[in-house]
Amino acid sequence: MPSTWGMTRKRRNNYRIRMEMNQESSGQRKMECSDVNKCFELLESILDGEMGDPGKEVLKEKLAKCQPCFEHFHLEQAIREVLKNKCTKQAVPNELAKSIREKIQEVK
Amino acid sequence: MSEVQRRKYSQEEKNSIFDGEFMPHIDSMYNFAYRLTFDEDDAKDLVQDTYLKAYRFINSFEQGTNAKAWLFRILKNSFINEYRKKSKQPAKVDYQEVETYYNSDDVDFRGTTDLRAESVKDMLGDEISNALNSLAVDFRTVIILCDLEGFTYEEMAKILDIPIGTVRSRLHRARNLLKEKLKGYAQHMGYDTEEEE
Repeated sequence: MPSTWGMTRKRRNNYRIRMEMNQESSGQRKMECSDVNKCFELLESILDGEMGDPGKEVLKEKLAKCQPCFEHFHLEQAIREVLKNKCTKQAVPNELAKSIREKIQEVK
Repeated sequence: MSEVQRRKYSQEEKNSIFDGEFMPHIDSMYNFAYRLTFDEDDAKDLVQDTYLKAYRFINSFEQGTNAKAWLFRILKNSFINEYRKKSKQPAKVDYQEVETYYNSDDVDFRGTTDLRAESVKDMLGDEISNALNSLAVDFRTVIILCDLEGFTYEEMAKILDIPIGTVRSRLHRARNLLKEKLKGYAQHMGYDTEEEE
């Protein structure tokens, strides 16, 4: 493995990403996406489970063929995971349910 | 809220719907209210008002349908109609303006491609929360509904009274804005981003 010493951080990162890519897939991906905005919006819909099974097929193809889509997919997936798992839940005040029931009793 | 009173529930049925279908969502409701108001007392009031309204209009709720979406819709409308007005926060940016601005193609994803999935995974809950909370309320709302509460686009369209296409594009924009915020954190915290040195 050639030394990465002397590269800028960006190039080292890109190099590392390329190495990871090579391990994940042997195929060649195009480096440019012709319509990034449309593609990413579509990817996001698929990630949100809005496209059903046909979406999975589109996804497989995009990930295999398009580098920007591949990277965007992993970033979007990471963001969804942290939002779902790490966003602090505010504890519901104990007396809230009780006070709602009392108010309902009053209007009954 | 539907104007049509579909049925008349007996007192017993009302109690059963209220306890069995409405109250189980109190955690999600409170969390949504808190993320809208950023204030415990306001959030409590908002949730309480929502449940009172839900009870008052219970006849327009069809038993067995999506109670959570129905309640979220009431809560969101109460927030817009009452809490936003009395809020001490400075005047909000006109939403139309925000939407138009972010509609322009300049605010593209290009600027955030150097945020890495790995950096995001390393972030703390507080950083994620703060980034989300810093978004304008309309963008914040779609992310809360979709990612935190797991609503479908169709449910979100009903809760927010907007077409599905608008849900999709607003979410896309909201996520791009969130990525910008996260990138800011990543750089600030010295996480690995691809910025040139």
